[in-house]
Amino acid sequence: MRDTNSEANGKMTSDNELIYKYNRELFYHFDKDKGFTQKVDYQNPNNQVIIKQGWDAAEQRLDEVRQLVIQGKASPIAYYMEKILMEVPMLAAYMEIPKWRVKRHLKSKVFKKIKPETLVKYASVFEITVEELKHPGFLK
Amino acid sequence: MVKLAFEHRQAGHCESGVTRNLLNYHHFKISEPMAFGIGAGLFFSYLPFLKMQHAPTTSFRVWPGQVFDRATRELGVKTAVHTFRNPKDSMDKLNEVLEQGYPVGLQVGTFHLPFFPPEYRMHYNMHNMIVYGHENGTYFISDTLMENLVEINYEDLMRVRFAKGAFAPQGRMYYPTHVPARIDIKPAIVKGIRKTANNMVGIPFPLIGVKGIRYLAGRMRKWEKKLGEAKASYYLGQVLRMEEEVGTAGAGFRFIYGAFLEEASTVLNQPWLRELSFEMGENANSWREFSYLGSRNCKKRGKPDQSYDFLADMLIEIANREEKIFKKLSTIK
Repeated sequence: MRDTNSEANGKMTSDNELIYKYNRELFYHFDKDKGFTQKVDYQNPNNQVIIKQGWDAAEQRLDEVRQLVIQGKASPIAYYMEKILMEVPMLAAYMEIPKWRVKRHLKSKVFKKIKPETLVKYASVFEITVEELKHPGFLK
Repeated sequence: MVKLAFEHRQAGHCESGVTRNLLNYHHFKISEPMAFGIGAGLFFSYLPFLKMQHAPTTSFRVWPGQVFDRATRELGVKTAVHTFRNPKDSMDKLNEVLEQGYPVGLQVGTFHLPFFPPEYRMHYNMHNMIVYGHENGTYFISDTLMENLVEINYEDLMRVRFAKGAFAPQGRMYYPTHVPARIDIKPAIVKGIRKTANNMVGIPFPLIGVKGIRYLAGRMRKWEKKLGEAKASYYLGQVLRMEEEVGTAGAGFRFIYGAFLEEASTVLNQPWLRELSFEMGENANSWREFSYLGSRNCKKRGKPDQSYDFLADMLIEIANREEKIFKKLSTIK
């Protein structure tokens, strides 16, 4: 089997730039001769690709929801929920209301009937104003 | 104001690192792999019915909190653990314990953690860090993921301690209150190894342990046909993210565990453990190779570079190897 250590840490850098350079972490390595070693370094490039894949997928989901909102098939709550990377169970936990209510609020028809105080709470969870929640910038 | 003389040390895994750093503060020298091994942190489970970030959950570790709980219990260290309903109470208690001179471990959510690397700021509620002091509403933090010591303000800290959703921390705080002057580490090591061996090969349930790895391999073969290229690569990416990121020190904790076995061999004076530690090291390198080859499928919108069958075969090989290792480990005396 190939020696992945040197490959992952050395050769890969030539065709793969580091994307994330905010903080260096501690990693363990193993080599037959040197045994177990520790090294502080940035995530290696191929792992950074995997991290980026996660963020790209989130962005794509957000794009899709945005389209749905523009077409009137989903409420702005669906958009902002995706924007802060939440799903229904978590948003329901933050809102302190049952999941089925949050699910209903994702429909644009129901959205128009939501009580103002509930909207205020949604806005505070999303860290935006009620105005932004009612009329997201991309709709103008 | 309090600022304890706390030595910051980075670690591969947040909870084991926190356990080590807290015990070191109380003058009990223990390494990160030791804390992880005695805490029986290694695991594997694949739960296709439980979706996380829109993909099946894969886990390489035990339930959060178990490493600290088990390690301290087996070592005879007395601890205090609190959870709270009221956020303000949790902060008052934190201040009180800090003023008594104890650094405190906290379970927090990472989404609103201001000093956290942006690429990791997801709703992940199982992160652990240490508070070692506070002054005028600023709290001093030692986070084993970070290179340096960091700070956080009162509001932000309260917020991350009360993140909601799966595994909500509920303000969980924990700290050793009494560390015995003499600790016999040997029985704790043996028990830790037995527990992990049992978790990996002793539980007759198809989704966890070595069986879980085989199960994942079986599912992986069908991904491309069932889900299409893009989603298959996203599912694979999720497995790899759990394996290589969120503080596993690489290869889903297999390196840390190998280092633990090596140390255990010396402490227990059992040379056969050293051989197994090398097996585990090679095994960890196989996991790393798997993630390296797999990551290529995650580029270019999931155009597969390696066939999923090939990757699944690698997993089967890994499962066979781990089965051999843990069957041998389960015989430890």
